[in-house]
Amino acid sequence: MFKYVKHLNYPINIKKKDLKMAKCLITQFGGSNGELAASLRYFSQKFSMPDEKGKALLNDIATEELGHCEMICTMVRELTKDATVEELKAAGLENIYAEHGKGIYPTDASGVPFTATYFAVTGDVIADLYEDMAAEQKARAVYENLIDLTNDEDVLGVLLFLRQREVVHFNRFKELKDYYKKKGY
Amino acid sequence: MLFDNTDFNFDIGFFKIPGSDFNVETRTDKFLTPEEGFMRGNLEKGSFIPYKKYTYFELKAENEQERMLLRLMALSFAINDLNLYLDLHPEDMENFQLFKKYANELNDLELDYVKKYGPIVVNETDGEMFNWVKNPWPWDDKGGSMYV
Repeated sequence: MFKYVKHLNYPINIKKKDLKMAKCLITQFGGSNGELAASLRYFSQKFSMPDEKGKALLNDIATEELGHCEMICTMVRELTKDATVEELKAAGLENIYAEHGKGIYPTDASGVPFTATYFAVTGDVIADLYEDMAAEQKARAVYENLIDLTNDEDVLGVLLFLRQREVVHFNRFKELKDYYKKKGY
Repeated sequence: MLFDNTDFNFDIGFFKIPGSDFNVETRTDKFLTPEEGFMRGNLEKGSFIPYKKYTYFELKAENEQERMLLRLMALSFAINDLNLYLDLHPEDMENFQLFKKYANELNDLELDYVKKYGPIVVNETDGEMFNWVKNPWPWDDKGGSMYV
């Protein structure tokens, strides 16, 4: 069961329109290394975790990642909401506009829609946790690429926060993997 | 290992909210204060890994609502990060006490906030009308606090 909390995980207040950044940023919602894939990955894997620690950690990180989806979407919305059709065309977003208007749809930076094939569930706790560790590293790398693409402090602050969460999650997953290895899994 | 603990010297100021006394905090050896952790995105001492020249940005509250909400968000953040740690270390009593302290403070602060500014979770809705529905929603950028 989930309960909605009516505030973001970290404050977002973007004042400048930036369509090219929005086009790239959307991948952290609907791309292969994005927050939606992360959330669904851990949510799905939690059902085959063998003990309390694994069930709790995957459940709780999955929940946090859903909050991060909301943050990415909020950023994309704020970066694009005041754009004219001409500006959208100039930024190469007319194909997105044709399908979705100014709505927020989970795709990667090239417009490829989200798919569940971005993540795996093997039922094997060690294989799943190695995937989770890799996923956190890939998400961190993508956040670093995105940080390289902007000078807007309102965007940078949020990206740095989200990037650091990948660092924390990686450490927790690694610790859990080491614990299960020691237990003989 | 890439993310093994490395000590990093911060060259930054403390988190300050005008008119607040929030800088006086209980800390354990393992964790930073809620504000220090919240700004970094990482509550655990020694595991913060910066990217290039960046550390993190200071968050500033501009009015009473933002001040309360920022504290509330920092406490929620600290509780979440302690939550992930305690999932793997439920026997750590010292940090469980820290978790409880923050959870109690969050409950009290949330009661205050909700009375003044409206519900944060739906069952807190109270008063003359169903104000859960009211703007701003967290993804709105106008009509309310920048932090909601």
